[in-house]
Amino acid sequence: MAEPRYEIAQTAYIKMVLHALKHKTSAVNGILLGRVSDQKDFTVVEIADSVPLFHSHLSLLPNLEISLILIEEYCEAKGLNIVGYFHGNERHDDAELGGVAKNIGDNIYRYFPQAAILLLDNKKLEALSKGKERSPVMQLYTRDASKNWKLVSSDGNGSNQLVTREPSANVVLSDYILSEKWQDIVDFDDHLDDISKDWLNPDLFK
Amino acid sequence: MVTKTEEAQLSRLESQVDNGGGGAWDFLCLVRKLKVRRSDKVLKHGLSLLKDPRKRSALGPDEWTLYEQVAIAAIDCHSLEVAKDCIKALQKRFPESKRVGRLEGMLLEAKGSWSEAEKAYSSLLEENPFDQVVHKRKIAMAKAQGNITVAIELLNKYLETFMADHDAWRELAEIYVSLQMYKQAAFCYEELILSQPTNPLYHLTYADVLYTIGGQENLQTAKKYYASTIQLTGGKNRRALFGVCLCTSAISQLSKGRNKEDNGTELQSLAATALEKDYKQRAPDKLQLLTSALKSLRVSS
Repeated sequence: MAEPRYEIAQTAYIKMVLHALKHKTSAVNGILLGRVSDQKDFTVVEIADSVPLFHSHLSLLPNLEISLILIEEYCEAKGLNIVGYFHGNERHDDAELGGVAKNIGDNIYRYFPQAAILLLDNKKLEALSKGKERSPVMQLYTRDASKNWKLVSSDGNGSNQLVTREPSANVVLSDYILSEKWQDIVDFDDHLDDISKDWLNPDLFK
Repeated sequence: MVTKTEEAQLSRLESQVDNGGGGAWDFLCLVRKLKVRRSDKVLKHGLSLLKDPRKRSALGPDEWTLYEQVAIAAIDCHSLEVAKDCIKALQKRFPESKRVGRLEGMLLEAKGSWSEAEKAYSSLLEENPFDQVVHKRKIAMAKAQGNITVAIELLNKYLETFMADHDAWRELAEIYVSLQMYKQAAFCYEELILSQPTNPLYHLTYADVLYTIGGQENLQTAKKYYASTIQLTGGKNRRALFGVCLCTSAISQLSKGRNKEDNGTELQSLAATALEKDYKQRAPDKLQLLTSALKSLRVSS
């Protein structure tokens, strides 16, 4: 069977990028929610929503476990799955997938074999501000047969495995960046400091 | 540490200045006093003060403080031309100053001229080996270039001399955490707790690290430190309340089948009740999720 394709909804996509922009000087992460749908000759993983997780102490377990338990409860109620993980590195020129991201990805993989890791691509993000970037500003990693996370090349030869559901996603994202919308995004760190802040960010797109 | 009132005062001043209501100097002073990072705003409002000769001379000797503040903010925002102009003005006024020398080093860093910055800092250290800021710049520089092992080495060496610098201990702890070197991180947090025993944040993060390492003994200790965090914060820290629930659940899973059934479950139900009460008041739409999450943690007891 062919490799699965990943289709990320505009809102899920924008939330992850804005989260990274809000915390420019630290590493950030997030969880991707969605479902699998089987097409005729390939599988599509639809990433329908995303939850920004943390901007400090990414590698400590307690907060991660709490957030995942709460998110799982939410998923169950909504008929969604945890389908992947998003990571933004601390340094602008660091394009490597680190140990923490791989470990969290491994754990998601145990429950969801088509799990994806999306790593923020700072070069593409920079190109976006110049209006030149059409593809998602993220790199896709999937786990191969030898259990390593492998970068799936996204150099547009038509067979991109990661696409945004709405073709306008990057245009909308640029608008949000210009209007400094990233100030309003709430992650789990914020929620744990002040529980009246909602990690689902229901008002962000209003 | 910035308190809630200070934070409120800062954001009130910030929006007042943003909307042209004046008070730019007060805002800049408060930013300096609280040591917060608002580089974009400092650059914008500080620069407009500097550009206005009347307002600038009204500051008196504080004018030079402002030049320094704007220079650093400009470096942070990568407005290197502005930074250069500010530093030039300072050089002219204080030709032999070490403090201005540090700014020159930082400008070189921002340009990515690592080896030149290194040289500038080394010569500053030759003149004064106890300049903490310059030592820290060198550590930050190693980190910025991705030489994490060098940064760790320099920090450890720095801490041999400046043992009481808790910011440096915390930085080292956070680097260890990010590298998943939890035992080393735990050691740093022990140092921090010893030097500031009433700061709940260190108790909390120490407990987080121990929980991450895992194992019966570490979990027991983690739970105690979550408990002390709860005590120090008057029960207001949700992370610690969640932490108690996680620890109790993990401990009872590890000691499955053995006795000690009652061990600590009382603390857990107290923490769970406090969480439920808190959510009911302040996040009622998330209460349902919380209740079922807490239930799933209690399954094993």
